[in-house]
Amino acid sequence: MVGVKLSEQAAITDLQTMLPDLPPVQLDAFEGPLDILLHLIRKQKMDIFNIPIATITAQYSNIIDSDLSLNVDVAGEYLVMASTLMQLKSRLLLPRPELDEEGNDIDPRDVLVAQLLAYEQYRLLAEEINELPRMHRDIFKRAAFPESENIERPLPLADLEALLVAFGQVLKRMTKEVRHRVVLESMSVREQIQFVIASLQGGSMQFHDLLHELRGREAWVTTLLAILELWRQRIIQVVQSEHNAGITLLLCVHDDKVLI
Amino acid sequence: MLSQKVEALILASDEPISFEKLRLFLSPVDASKLHGALSILEEHYAGRGIQLKQIAGGWQFRTAPAYAGIVKQLWQTKAPRLSRSMLEILAIIAYQQPTTRAEIEAMRGMKVSSSIIGGLLERGWIKVLGRKDVPGRPHLYGTNKQFLADFGLNSLHDLPDSSQLVDVDGIFQERPTASKNP
Repeated sequence: MVGVKLSEQAAITDLQTMLPDLPPVQLDAFEGPLDILLHLIRKQKMDIFNIPIATITAQYSNIIDSDLSLNVDVAGEYLVMASTLMQLKSRLLLPRPELDEEGNDIDPRDVLVAQLLAYEQYRLLAEEINELPRMHRDIFKRAAFPESENIERPLPLADLEALLVAFGQVLKRMTKEVRHRVVLESMSVREQIQFVIASLQGGSMQFHDLLHELRGREAWVTTLLAILELWRQRIIQVVQSEHNAGITLLLCVHDDKVLI
Repeated sequence: MLSQKVEALILASDEPISFEKLRLFLSPVDASKLHGALSILEEHYAGRGIQLKQIAGGWQFRTAPAYAGIVKQLWQTKAPRLSRSMLEILAIIAYQQPTTRAEIEAMRGMKVSSSIIGGLLERGWIKVLGRKDVPGRPHLYGTNKQFLADFGLNSLHDLPDSSQLVDVDGIFQERPTASKNP
């Protein structure tokens, strides 16, 4: 496999001798089968509209064979591409119509080439997006407003999406506990509404602190439903000071002013 | 006088402040005078350590990228590097929106992990726009305002030039007849 000139490859039929000295690559350096194919094609300066399928198939198989630790989930996608390549190779060897009704070329490789080109464009755009000056990496804004006692700042209101994201984070954090006792506890939203109101009597409360007082997925979900119901009825207010910050719950009073 | 007022409002606002909001807070004010005040400020801040920029449909002061290195020292935490898969998925959503997970997977030839979609949602860069009317009613994703704000874009038109997104079907119509040796 040493030093075979790439341009001469097409003439050589023995697959083993066709493999040039490509620098060794790790499968996890790639973002999937298309990424590998583009790497092989561009690295060897092949014509993407005339891909030497036999060569590419052998090189591709070599790369995926080199990593046997591949987990089943990911392996499937790499293997699908391997079989697509094999199929293409055999279709190119068999007699087939070369022109369609309109006299255009029919090339079985076209579908794959279109997929590769489309993916390559997004790969490029992703790089360009990464190079945009990004907040907190290249660009910063004023960090905090000097608080003054005379200034009343309106409470920024959270939205449903923020509450659900916060709930997801709580679930992720709390379900790490392993609990084995199986008991059936039935909870009602009505009870949890009472619980939420009672908890907020003493003042505002962080959403995750409130859920921390409870155990079990059922309790958390029921409480979330209770919070949504209270929010809908404007009995409580849901506040988030900035994106991804903690979510605070507080009771409303009747004239729609906030009770803190 | 007007440009000083505008300057104060922009500095004190947590979010990029829109032209309409400025106009409301400074009313009665002529739209053209307000435009004038903004361009005076823009010019005044050109080449300084902070810049006045139009971001996500509003005006905001931000530090100039050239000084990122020294400004970073103010905080312990560093902005995390984004993985290639996250950037690629974000790019596909940004240019193809509204789009579904299956469409992203077809484009990349690779499964889209839930943790990446979750990560993008958590950062507020993408959101669910609705559901596609096909079997399974999959979520349709699009970018969010936070995406524009964090990547310094005023609108989606400011994304890196997508004219390079050549029409792949077009290529096959135009290309010369390729020689046939597989």
